[in-house]
Amino acid sequence: MNFRARYAEAAFYATLAIILAILTHFVAVLTMPLVAERDAYSRLAKLGGPNETVELAQTSPVSRGFPYADPAVATAFCRFDLANGPVRVRAPIGRAGFASLSVHTRRGAVVYAITDRAATHGYMEAVVANAAQLRALVAEDDEDNPSEDLRIVSPTNEGFVLTRVLSELPDLYGEAEAQAKALDCAAEPSGK
Amino acid sequence: MTTWVKSLLAAAAALGLGLWATAALLANGGPFETLRLGAWEVAANAGAADADPYARAALARSGEIPLALGEGLQMVARVDDAGRALNARCVYRIGPRTPPARYWTLELVDRKGFAIENPAGRYVFRSSEILREGDGSFSIWVSAAVHAGNWLPIGAPARFALVLRLYDSPLSAASGAIQKTSAPAVVRESCA
Repeated sequence: MNFRARYAEAAFYATLAIILAILTHFVAVLTMPLVAERDAYSRLAKLGGPNETVELAQTSPVSRGFPYADPAVATAFCRFDLANGPVRVRAPIGRAGFASLSVHTRRGAVVYAITDRAATHGYMEAVVANAAQLRALVAEDDEDNPSEDLRIVSPTNEGFVLTRVLSELPDLYGEAEAQAKALDCAAEPSGK
Repeated sequence: MTTWVKSLLAAAAALGLGLWATAALLANGGPFETLRLGAWEVAANAGAADADPYARAALARSGEIPLALGEGLQMVARVDDAGRALNARCVYRIGPRTPPARYWTLELVDRKGFAIENPAGRYVFRSSEILREGDGSFSIWVSAAVHAGNWLPIGAPARFALVLRLYDSPLSAASGAIQKTSAPAVVRESCA
């Protein structure tokens, strides 16, 4: 084999390797959300059942729960499964500096979020439903007495709701925790 | 060597290269949608429902629960204003102002996004607890050794990053309204 042929062969295998590497990369990126076992939802699922409010431990060097979680913020969540019907979620607001309620899909994407600025009657409240359930809810609405509910459509039946409560001072963290733990997720009676 | 062996070697190299590239790209939240503001990086779309595949894969891999667009913004600095990697042997001054937000917190984290143990037990500063000048400006000192004023300790002689979270901020990374001038400076004051 002369030098030229060897060079051509090496170039062929290098090209092959690069093309396969690029393919591997794309497959890995696209399948990651589907196969990840340590994603947020999988980890939350180990902590609590559907509609059960669970407080997350304050993040610290010894309690390495979720990366980039704020140690100044108390957090509680509940999982939902819309296969059993829509879910009403309610989180009180309090003296704490900032509070929010966010709805996430099974894959961790954020569907919707509101802050305590949007609270009515002292609560951040929403009804989470899938598209079919939303249509049913709308059909049930009384035209003369429209529903005041904030309705959030989740693209997946499974997901989770999270409330974040910021403690203004380190000493107020306990108060923020109490507020976060008051998150309530309950099946919404729908239909007749 | 037969063609088969060479092909197999090329495939193995490709697999390794592809997976390595994936891990490397995802370690910082993916190559897309990252806005730079001085020393700070803003993952523009991590908290959005239409996050790109890299952002979604990065979330699935890390297990992070991102802030939603409506809740606020998270910015991460791994370098100082001059672009030099943050070094545990140096003293940094962060300030004097942040972009507008109802509250913000500044935390020091390790490469995976967790707080680092330090004897002072101080991992985060809230906007509502720091000492300020008469005009509302502030300096937070990031150093391994004790520092007067708002001291955020560097707990271990390892790589670290600073995380600034803006809660209830009118800014949205997606809208492009962020102004470079409003991001706090990360100034390297001295090095041991």
